[in-house]
Amino acid sequence: MAAPDSTLQPAAPLSAPPAARRFGWLGDRGLAALFISPALGLLLFLSVFPLLWALYLSFTDYSVTRDVPAQWIWFENYVDLLTSDQVHQRAVTTAVYVIGAVGLQTVLGFTIAYLISRRARGRGLMTTLFLTPMMLSPVVVGLFWKFMLDAQFGVVNSFLNTLGLGSVEWLTNQRLALLSVIVVDTWQWTPFIMLIALAGLTAVPRYLYEAAEIDRASEWFRFRRITLPLVWPLLLIAVLFRAIEAFRLFDLVYILTNGGPGVATETLSFHVYKTAFLGFDTGRASAYGILMVIVVIVMAQLYLRYLNRLQGR
Amino acid sequence: MGEISIEGLQKRFPDGTLAVEHLDLAIGEGELFVMLGPSGCGKTTTLRCIAGLERHTAGHIRIGGDLVDDLRPSERDIAMVFQFYALYPHMTARENIAFPLRAEGLRDADVGDRVAEAARMLRLEGLLDRRPGRLSGGEQQRVALARAMVRHPRAFLMDEPLTNLDAELRADMRAELKHLQQRLGTTMVYVTHDQVEAMALGHRIAIMREGRLEQLGTPLEVYDRPATLFCARFIGSPPMNLVDVELTNGALTGPGGLAIEPPAGLVRGVRLVAGLRPEALDVTDPGAEGTVAGRVVSEEMLGDEVIYVIETGGTDLHVRMPPTTHYGSEAPVGIRHAGGPPPVYDPGTEQVVA
Amino acid sequence: MAVRVEDAVPVEATARSAAPPPGRRRSLRSVVEIVLLAVLLVVMLFPVVWMLETSLKEGRDVYAVPAKLLGFDVTFDHYKDVFVQRGGTGASDLAVSFQNSVLVAGLSTIIATVLGVPAAWAYSRFTLKAKRDQLFFILSTRFMPPVVVVIPIFLMYRDLSLIDTKLGLILIYSAFNLPFTIWMMKGFVDEVPSEYEDAAMLDGYSRFEAFHRFTLPLLVPGIAATAVFALIFSWNEFVFAVFLTSSEEARTAPPAIAGLIGGTTIDWGLVAASAMVFAVPVLLFAFLVRKHLVAGVTLGAVRR
Repeated sequence: MAAPDSTLQPAAPLSAPPAARRFGWLGDRGLAALFISPALGLLLFLSVFPLLWALYLSFTDYSVTRDVPAQWIWFENYVDLLTSDQVHQRAVTTAVYVIGAVGLQTVLGFTIAYLISRRARGRGLMTTLFLTPMMLSPVVVGLFWKFMLDAQFGVVNSFLNTLGLGSVEWLTNQRLALLSVIVVDTWQWTPFIMLIALAGLTAVPRYLYEAAEIDRASEWFRFRRITLPLVWPLLLIAVLFRAIEAFRLFDLVYILTNGGPGVATETLSFHVYKTAFLGFDTGRASAYGILMVIVVIVMAQLYLRYLNRLQGR
Repeated sequence: MGEISIEGLQKRFPDGTLAVEHLDLAIGEGELFVMLGPSGCGKTTTLRCIAGLERHTAGHIRIGGDLVDDLRPSERDIAMVFQFYALYPHMTARENIAFPLRAEGLRDADVGDRVAEAARMLRLEGLLDRRPGRLSGGEQQRVALARAMVRHPRAFLMDEPLTNLDAELRADMRAELKHLQQRLGTTMVYVTHDQVEAMALGHRIAIMREGRLEQLGTPLEVYDRPATLFCARFIGSPPMNLVDVELTNGALTGPGGLAIEPPAGLVRGVRLVAGLRPEALDVTDPGAEGTVAGRVVSEEMLGDEVIYVIETGGTDLHVRMPPTTHYGSEAPVGIRHAGGPPPVYDPGTEQVVA
Repeated sequence: MAVRVEDAVPVEATARSAAPPPGRRRSLRSVVEIVLLAVLLVVMLFPVVWMLETSLKEGRDVYAVPAKLLGFDVTFDHYKDVFVQRGGTGASDLAVSFQNSVLVAGLSTIIATVLGVPAAWAYSRFTLKAKRDQLFFILSTRFMPPVVVVIPIFLMYRDLSLIDTKLGLILIYSAFNLPFTIWMMKGFVDEVPSEYEDAAMLDGYSRFEAFHRFTLPLLVPGIAATAVFALIFSWNEFVFAVFLTSSEEARTAPPAIAGLIGGTTIDWGLVAASAMVFAVPVLLFAFLVRKHLVAGVTLGAVRR
């Protein structure tokens, strides 16, 4: 039997330095309040309050230029807007744009993601390169493409001419302008879909494919029954997100076509801008904006609910 | 039909690592063949080569007599159960089991019949409409088994299928697997790092280490006469006591003067290591006939047996005793070797010499 | 709160790539795939390359028809014009706007981070009343069309004399980045086990100090990534900048660069050079946080 080591002393109890009790009196609830209130405060002040003010303005005929106090006109603005042919036209333009652009981006983005996922090497580099368009400011993108699609000096037309196909008025032709906006938006945001689709694709574990291969599933069968169903949820999130963003779009239209030619590329956002800052009809523009906000809220709710369901499963 | 022969198998990965080095195995038709070893020993790589998921760099593999070296996994008529079950999370159990049949384009009626048959054998009726996320580990495992069975392949390949289950579930599933294999009579190649599983399941066990075969034999052979020190340490719980012994005057002496019956054919004058199984040793009162002095270091009362660690001559020995024995901690005891001649090893080559 | 990719694509074990096993015969299919990928890559990168070339071309080459892909003289005049006043010395207007961008983006990021990180931590650690709804609400504010929000903000700022000031922009950008900061940081905080704080509190530290001394240092990489994204968002922002500022001393780069295309003749060389100078920092920063890109661009909703 070994004798107990007499040189061993129990260690001195560890104690926290005096400052360790700082803010201890706050308690958890107090601390939570302290940490959250400034953030919520700023948000309420600069995000929520303005919307409420816009709501208020939407019921008036306020104009930012006239010095006459605003008159309360109830739902007159809303009725005007909802029955206006102009608004309907912008709504159609926006719908065409959103569906066209997001649809195209999804197909392209998924394709690129699929192609990259099939390569074993160089994925990191390729992904980074493909992401470049997305990281640029919409202003920069708009300028790049405005130059490239210029009917006279644009490199696109230059290529077409060398191929003998003749110049195309990308941004100045009524029917082509919207298409051009869709193409440019697709160019910028395809990487977004690609990024998320790639994340989904690479998350599918290899052994699922191996099991399927042993079970004699053909390539197409595997794609349809394993890849697609497993990547689809994530893809949907990306698509919903893009749809909301596309709906809000303003920068690109402003730079690329300024709504033109005529009003061919005027989206709802752009029309709101015109009503407010060129038409100075603040009250009406506010109502217009509120209508857009309602649509966005519905879309965002869908998005968030789906996000939550994904998490909950 | 389902016999598998592996000749000179070698697998070298592109980065240079040699996972399997010249392996020869002959697995019989209807045999439950276990490949056992620590991680990195090459057992899983070998299994994947048999499956066709990895391309071996040298050697040949035959299944049912057919050379399969250049065949894709889908062409080898084998089924595999993965460590993580590989169940498709978005499909119900029924759809998972039916998947291989649908991939082959079987008619709906036939699919239904076969799925029902597999479900019946594995007691999955009632669970068929659940998704894997709503099934317990054991249930998922049975679904994975059913999916493998439903094709009536000529061989099953199992990659540590029970590793992810709870301990008690593992014992149940082990028995079920063994029973299933006997009923089906299909060749099964089973990979595991758990020696209890290997002993319980296998008709024969292949112990592997660092890409090479250490020993091939029935569970009893591997237990009674491990071919190398590695196998001796690997099989058995508590592990075999490996003690330095001396051969003097025809008698083998272990630590503390422990007398051991020497096996035939031992050479004098070389350093030797003997493998003493815990159940071959006896703990009694100190001073009893034929014992040497020892001291209890620890005593584990397990209910059906007592495991002692006895210190004698500077070495700790594990001893297995009946549950009624009791000697307190630090108690002086007598210890003797009561079994027959143990396997003796050359510590340099690590091979058994007698 | 955030969706992890593994939850959306439910798996048990660590993911391994879906690439086909190597070593099989190089099939026609592989070749087609590689060619397709290369073509798409060219299409994606060409505009950037083209603008780079344009920024380096002499005036006449910029407007050359047919367009010159190669074989032009390189000049840095356009880049000089970005920074230096034409025909004189002193910083150009564009240079001032770049400075403003740096200031506004930097300060708004700092504010958003200082406010957002503690809030994110609180949301992660504590169960609060209607927490999920609160978080959803916070994220919703980020989805509001800026054109709509700008109208009342414009009026508010007019009353508060914040129109055409850098401070005004800083404030709105901070508010604009806050939801993202909170969502993204919350994800990072979720990944730091709360056991660290529990252990500290058992040792006598208050909850605040546990957060301050133990959790915060572990959050630094997450904070850095989040801050970079907030920087990128603020840097690229256009709508608020163009409507809330007008003078040279307050406006940031995006409206200033956009302003170059007003007027009768457009100096595309200068536009190209300004756009390149504007874009490069972002690309650099994006490369730095490439590991968190999925989380960043989905506003912290999807994590890898």
